[in-house]
Amino acid sequence: MNALQNMVAGFEHEAYGSQAVFRIALQALSHPGRPLDMSLNMAVPRGGHAAAAALLLGLLDADTALYLSPSLAGSDAAAWLRFHTGCSAVADRAQAQFIWIGQGDAMPLLQDLRQGNDAYPDQSATCVIEVHNLHADEAGWRLQGPGILGERTLRVQGLAADFADQWSRNHAGFPCGVDVFLATATQIVGLPRTTQIISKEG
Amino acid sequence: MFQTHDHDPGTPTADRQAWMALLARAPVRLLDAALADHQDTPQWLRQPETGLMMVQGRAGGTGERFNLGEITVTRCALRLNPLHLNAPVGVAYVLGRNHRQAQLAAVADALLQDPAQRETLALSLLAPVRQHLQQQQAERHRRAQTTKVDFMTVAREAAGAQDEDTE
Repeated sequence: MNALQNMVAGFEHEAYGSQAVFRIALQALSHPGRPLDMSLNMAVPRGGHAAAAALLLGLLDADTALYLSPSLAGSDAAAWLRFHTGCSAVADRAQAQFIWIGQGDAMPLLQDLRQGNDAYPDQSATCVIEVHNLHADEAGWRLQGPGILGERTLRVQGLAADFADQWSRNHAGFPCGVDVFLATATQIVGLPRTTQIISKEG
Repeated sequence: MFQTHDHDPGTPTADRQAWMALLARAPVRLLDAALADHQDTPQWLRQPETGLMMVQGRAGGTGERFNLGEITVTRCALRLNPLHLNAPVGVAYVLGRNHRQAQLAAVADALLQDPAQRETLALSLLAPVRQHLQQQQAERHRRAQTTKVDFMTVAREAAGAQDEDTE
């Protein structure tokens, strides 16, 4: 018995796989609020959404610190990310550059995460939050900001009720603040700190 | 010779450390001979990859740590039976750039974790490797002995030379 017992492989082809994921992450942040299908040509671990796992597998490396929400902390997914990327797992979320919040786990206050500072706003946290569903739907948020021509609509199911409030505070702190990826099992949506949610879900 | 002191001998961890240390230094020819039946492609968890590692040393084993230099290391991780998720995982780190050597060492590590195969493989692989390493060390020791200088003699000669100077 050892720590590698339930380990699965990572990208089928490391260079192409991580390039594909990185490309999708860039697209997600340059078209905020647009649901994008995640490239999943890899073995993914049990625990956590596959799209979130794939995104983090592409973004993490040995210099990054990752905070995992309680349901993910002891999972195969955590061991898998550490094995393939060499990232370090930290228990203090204020230290982490990447935050992975599993579905059903309480979301930490965005204000408690690394915000960066005026000289280095890039030293902020990137938060991957798992949700049920993502739809471009009139019933949801109306989004505005750089990368959006006019307005974009997005309905998210399975997110904390006060997310929109927290997000407006996060947006107000520009250029500091965190960037968020919302992930279902197959799709991701990017919400960079420049994006404004102008109508709340409901 | 390489020794580990992290775990008490006799525990599973210490046993595995001991055989992994042997496998890391096993020549390909011995690995090949013992693992002739296990040559098919395994399920890779991490394909063989070559990289650099910093080796650190301590002067006299006790001084401050310093960076001795970088070495080339190839590592891989694999599972022998792809259909069986709980099959043991073999891991290998070997010196140099030989991907095949890393693969065979990892295969041997996976097989040794299976109690049914351990006895046979310990005889057919670990014993010859241990013997090979002992021979290698004895040979190195013998070569080093030929260059041994008896410093007592030098000291006496030097003392003699000084005496001559003063005369």
